[in-house]
Amino acid sequence: MQLLKYIWRNVVRNKLRSTLTMLSIAFSLSLMTVLYGYLEMQEAWGKEAIKKQRIVVMNKQGFSGRLPIAYVERIRGVEGVIDAVPYSWFGGNYQEQQMPFAQFGTDPKHVFNVWDEIKIDPTEQAAFESDRQACVVDRVLAEKRGWSIGDRIPLQGTFYPVNLDLKLVGMFDSPTYSDSIWFDWTYMDEEVRKIAPEASGSAGTIFARCVSSEAIPGVVGAIDSRFVNSENPTRTQTEAAFAQMFADMLGNIQAYIRNIALAVIFSLSLVAGNAMAMSMRERTTEVAVLKAIGFSRPRILAMVLGESTMIALLGGIAGIAAGSFCLHLLHSVSAQFFPLTFLDLAGPWLIALCLVATGIGLVSGVVPAAQAARLSVVDGLRVI
Amino acid sequence: MIPLKYNFRNLRVRWVTTLMTVLGTGLVVWASVLTFGLVDGLDHALVSTGDPLDLIVLRKGANDETSSSLETQAASEIANLAGIAHSPQGEPLCSREFVTILTKPRRNQGGTTNVIVRGLEPVGRTLRPSFRIAEGRDLKPGVNEAITSRQMASRFENLGLGESLEINNIDFRIVGYFEAGGSAAESEVWTDLRDLATSQRLPSAISVVNLRAENDDALQQLTTRIRDDEQFKLKAVSETAYFDEQKSASIAIKFVGMVIAGFLTVGAMFAAANTMFAAVASRGREIGTLRALGFRRRSVLLSFMLESLLICLLGGMLGCLATLPFHGLSTGTANWATFSEITFAFRFGPMVLIQGMCLALAMGLIGGLFPAVRAVRLKIIDALRQR
Repeated sequence: MQLLKYIWRNVVRNKLRSTLTMLSIAFSLSLMTVLYGYLEMQEAWGKEAIKKQRIVVMNKQGFSGRLPIAYVERIRGVEGVIDAVPYSWFGGNYQEQQMPFAQFGTDPKHVFNVWDEIKIDPTEQAAFESDRQACVVDRVLAEKRGWSIGDRIPLQGTFYPVNLDLKLVGMFDSPTYSDSIWFDWTYMDEEVRKIAPEASGSAGTIFARCVSSEAIPGVVGAIDSRFVNSENPTRTQTEAAFAQMFADMLGNIQAYIRNIALAVIFSLSLVAGNAMAMSMRERTTEVAVLKAIGFSRPRILAMVLGESTMIALLGGIAGIAAGSFCLHLLHSVSAQFFPLTFLDLAGPWLIALCLVATGIGLVSGVVPAAQAARLSVVDGLRVI
Repeated sequence: MIPLKYNFRNLRVRWVTTLMTVLGTGLVVWASVLTFGLVDGLDHALVSTGDPLDLIVLRKGANDETSSSLETQAASEIANLAGIAHSPQGEPLCSREFVTILTKPRRNQGGTTNVIVRGLEPVGRTLRPSFRIAEGRDLKPGVNEAITSRQMASRFENLGLGESLEINNIDFRIVGYFEAGGSAAESEVWTDLRDLATSQRLPSAISVVNLRAENDDALQQLTTRIRDDEQFKLKAVSETAYFDEQKSASIAIKFVGMVIAGFLTVGAMFAAANTMFAAVASRGREIGTLRALGFRRRSVLLSFMLESLLICLLGGMLGCLATLPFHGLSTGTANWATFSEITFAFRFGPMVLIQGMCLALAMGLIGGLFPAVRAVRLKIIDALRQR
């Protein structure tokens, strides 16, 4: 306790220097918090997806390939599948502008069986099923855009050569913000058939939910082997693997983030070590006096290391807090890229970052601490 | 003015502190320049693609080539429009192309991503900047052959010379590597127009028409002619504008890069300030002596600022030099506009290095300012009295 008090006094002795070191560490660690939060989110998102027992079917060639709508019915018939729906990414513009939210053409009758964690009012679902031009949206998205029931939402197609005139009939509640509009796939397909008959009749992708996680490998195999010799062979994967595909597209972002992080840690150790060494140089006489009155070497060592660690840890905690706040902001700005709130993300990795800060403190204190511990009393007292 | 030699000697006397600060700022500059070089490489791949006289004809409403489709009739009519440049052999420089994206695995377990496969006629090659076959030979139409770039071959499975890429159960043999001046074409696999369309069971399908106008006036006329034709339902965008639009792909990366560089730079400023404050604190008597000798306040201010700048610029230079081994290293990321991979090489041109040095300059200036101000505010008497 006594030692701690002494360390604290030393930390606040040169307030300017300690503050500058802390700020330097805080800024860099807040950046690391955001970067690692992003990596963590991709991982958590994948884990979340595994629990939902959903699989995604697409053409073996990729997104540009056809997936005949008849496949939906045939996949529903596969043993172990609860339900399946077409899920066509529309990617349209709203008010002639590209939009951050997603739009999907699907089957109103079955879609809530596949996404059983997403809830909607039964009367609103009935309205969704009965009107071909109806659409439902995530409640959070509706609030963000200021839409209310009965509003028209016109979408201009870019990927599909058609425009849609949708009518908002309901809002659904999703445990994780989905940022999506759902509309009737048949409405879109009819419009496409009028203009480009050869492009119509494709489901885009098919989402299906299985009875249990254990059933998934069997279902995946059954679906792919059923269509392997058809004109349009399929590639079926878990929703987690599907999400991973998008993460993979970015390339080796992870390696890049880790490299930056390493450079930052190394640089911070130098910076903090430098500051600590400067402090100790100014206190040479003082250390000699402490030794002269009987302070042991380990004690001196602990004092110096304690001081450098405390500075780094305080700076680190401030930085991690600031970084966490940034993650929170990013989620509220773009839920598509940051689908999880900070609270969902918080986990052991935050502790690990605190440990990184502690590590920086320890490493930066080693040289000055060793020098102080080795200092001979006579030499130290002679310094003016 | 206090001679610069004074600063150099001071830095040498406190060489450990100097070295630590130089390395610290150097690392920050290194990380930032690396990010800038990445963004610059990506931009370069998109910029160098556009020729000002080239037009891309797309379906009205389509944002990019992969979601566009043209009727066969319209595509042939476009080739006959007036104002299109001709090759020395008298062939119009107008290329009908079919573009599709396939999901393919990267090498070394790098996951899967989408690859643009383009079917085109021989004339399409003249529309690309400095197209040439770098290895192997060009493809022969009608026998399912394909060519690609070296970068693509090293990044993707089945794209090496002699290997075969499967497209809808048909194998396309890779017979050559091409170069196209580092443009976006180098992120694609090329095959014959008919071979590709047939493999997709859309034998007469055409996605886009690429053409070159004779001159600026013809370019304007062609653009309005195609846009206003009621039957075509098409639009012609200049190639430069088309790729400018796709830069939105790099904007996100650019933004992230700026944020990273910004945060790190501020962190490094504090470090530089720390070093300089210590320098001022330990040299109180020196400062007093200098002032007593008759050096003006502004000379002392300048001297300390210069010392701070020296440290940071040294670090900046070190950081910039350390990025050079990465020059030309090829990498790739997602081009969200086409939903496919774009490969590019890190580029550390003068602009990127200048940006890095500017960061170092900012660190030195802002980090040195407050310590230098403290130095000049010392009263001579007090300063001389210091131990």
